[in-house]
Amino acid sequence: MNTLDNLDDFVALVRDELGLPVTVENAGDSFDQLAGWDSVHLLWLLTALERHTGRRISLPDVLEATSLEAVYTLAVSA
Amino acid sequence: MTGTESPTTTAAPPSPADPGPARTGLDALLDLHRTGRLVTEYPRVSDLLAEASAAEITRAGLLLSRLDPAAVLDAHPATRTLSVAVTGHGTLSALTAALTGELARHGVLLRPHPTDFDSWVFELSDPGGALYAAATDLVLCVLDPTVVFDEVPVPWTVADVERVLAAKVELLERLAARFHADGHGTLVLNTLPLPHSWSAQAIDFRSRAELGALWREANARVLRIGATHPSVVVLDLDPLLAEGVPATEARMNVYAKAHLSVELLSGYAREAAHLARNLVGLTRKVLVLDLDNTLWGGVLGDDGIEGIEVGEGYRGEAFTTFQRVVKQLGAQGVLLAAVSKNDPEPVREALREHPRMTLRDADFVRVVANWAPKHDNLTELARSLNLGVDSLVFVDDSPYECGLVRRELPEVAVVRLDGEPALHPARLLADGWFDTRELTAEDQARTSRYRDELDRRDFLDSFGSLDDYLGELGVTVRIAPAARTELARVSQLTLRTNQFNLTTRRLQQPAVEALAADPDALVLAIHSADRFGDNGLVGAIFAHRRDNALHVDNMLLSCRVFARGIEQSALSALLRHARDTGADAVYGTYLAGAKNGKVRDLYPRYGFTAADHDGPGGPDRADAPVDTDTDTADAGRVLTFRHDLADIVPVPGHVALTETFEGEPEQ
Repeated sequence: MNTLDNLDDFVALVRDELGLPVTVENAGDSFDQLAGWDSVHLLWLLTALERHTGRRISLPDVLEATSLEAVYTLAVSA
Repeated sequence: MTGTESPTTTAAPPSPADPGPARTGLDALLDLHRTGRLVTEYPRVSDLLAEASAAEITRAGLLLSRLDPAAVLDAHPATRTLSVAVTGHGTLSALTAALTGELARHGVLLRPHPTDFDSWVFELSDPGGALYAAATDLVLCVLDPTVVFDEVPVPWTVADVERVLAAKVELLERLAARFHADGHGTLVLNTLPLPHSWSAQAIDFRSRAELGALWREANARVLRIGATHPSVVVLDLDPLLAEGVPATEARMNVYAKAHLSVELLSGYAREAAHLARNLVGLTRKVLVLDLDNTLWGGVLGDDGIEGIEVGEGYRGEAFTTFQRVVKQLGAQGVLLAAVSKNDPEPVREALREHPRMTLRDADFVRVVANWAPKHDNLTELARSLNLGVDSLVFVDDSPYECGLVRRELPEVAVVRLDGEPALHPARLLADGWFDTRELTAEDQARTSRYRDELDRRDFLDSFGSLDDYLGELGVTVRIAPAARTELARVSQLTLRTNQFNLTTRRLQQPAVEALAADPDALVLAIHSADRFGDNGLVGAIFAHRRDNALHVDNMLLSCRVFARGIEQSALSALLRHARDTGADAVYGTYLAGAKNGKVRDLYPRYGFTAADHDGPGGPDRADAPVDTDTDTADAGRVLTFRHDLADIVPVPGHVALTETFEGEPEQ
């Protein structure tokens, strides 16, 4: 797949790329509530999203995001 | 066989029954991750990553780094492990992921030791601190150009950079000396890349050249730190950059303090994994090459000796270039062998008579040309060299042969070439299969020694009994405290020897040096020779005296010289030495490793009896500054033996033994 059609695709990508057991249900949780979260995950996630979508995404915006869902919004609006 | 270039990765030979789209090893690994089976199926990981690209390995490493190493060890206690502390400048999470993947690819489980962000100076300068206390096998201190450029004024001059560079190099030299004096294991440093984004800020070519010169002089000093301190290894990043790997990624550099690119850190991790493989005793020893379309172009059986491509013509020159690379490896102690589906006579003739052949039959320890399956030939080759198949690297252009060997003998490292001979050298060298800390005199002589050994076997075949053979062999053995110049080789023996290694305890050179300098410890070197030549430094004994007993901490013997009375001679000498210097008993320990089962009964065979695990005085020094990372997690299988010195095994009649214990090692 080369598109992110919906949040399910995005969550599947996070699970595959980062190895984190996130679900659609907790994708909106703030990072500090997310088990196993570390800010460096955002760097991996940005790289994976850019590879996946073929578009450049703003790293400062991603670093300021507070939840996976917010990152998803940035990725699909890029 | 001629290679058909398949871009896909297959773990097994192509099968007509399986026409579906090829799945990569990473796909299979992702399946294990998605279904929660990465821990239970961990032993498959190395095979799944065997042909993965650097990017795939880093991606897999990120997933694998989520696993709890303790859970993997619980499920697979025999997994080899390596403890590594990563420190340095900036964000280095990519390195941990890449290193996890690169090590897993070689079957080694990373046990990471976390350090605080940007704490490298503090950690490395404090012998009482957490980094030193962790006593990891490896400490990776990763440095990048911002270590220097963060400290120059704005605007800067070349003289400013020179001043900061000098201070940083001096700091590194001090930290390295501190680590060498007080650290455990190996410290890894690296050269600093000089990015275009900095050199281009000097707009005159003269200043830009001067900056480049100063930068390289500083890197040269850093590279030489490894020569001064044996416990330090310096990775040269320039060759990685020369292959087109970017030094930095601008956004990660600015926003995330990740000053080196993921690609460069992946390359760094691969180099570090080669070092790690050496430290855990996984360095390969034999390079086994196919012939047709691997060492020369064309098929000898079809094209004839004059028809094969080597030495002239476009493709012929490419094959010659590859042969030169192979010869270069052979000159450094890598044993070369050929395994080819051909009739033996034309192969012999080609290697002897072809006017433009670089590699000759004398360069190989063995040339096997027949029509048997290659995996059978590889098994027989390993047996004749008295090595495990996990010592072999097999190189072939045929996807079929590569796939079959990988399936039948997963322990063999397989390098798959394709139909483009210009790419052969890079493919062979990509994995540093034979990388080692330091070459010894033993390495340069290795091929001739193994060839002597094959001559010995022919000689053996001409005798009616083994005793007759040994009587004619003229074995001489010399046992003496290891001289200073021999300590690198003694360390190498502990790292390379897997079978006759009573504890599989790996000792890096500084640990051997510390033992050699300890007045209560004995580090004995065993040399042997026979009518076929000098075998060199073939064995070592580590022992120490405590109270009235001598404790043998480890005994090792090269697999080339098993079963000709050398071990009996050495033990006889050691036991007499213990008795003559007033000891009541000698204790020996056997610690089960992955492959040392054949020496499990060594001590009882020579008059030792089973002792309590903690014999009087203790069988082993807990305070010995040694690397206790063994091949096995099965710590229950520690056997301790005691010899009462009443009845000491004699030196075998066919051995002429020279022994010295009191001589001080050369300083």
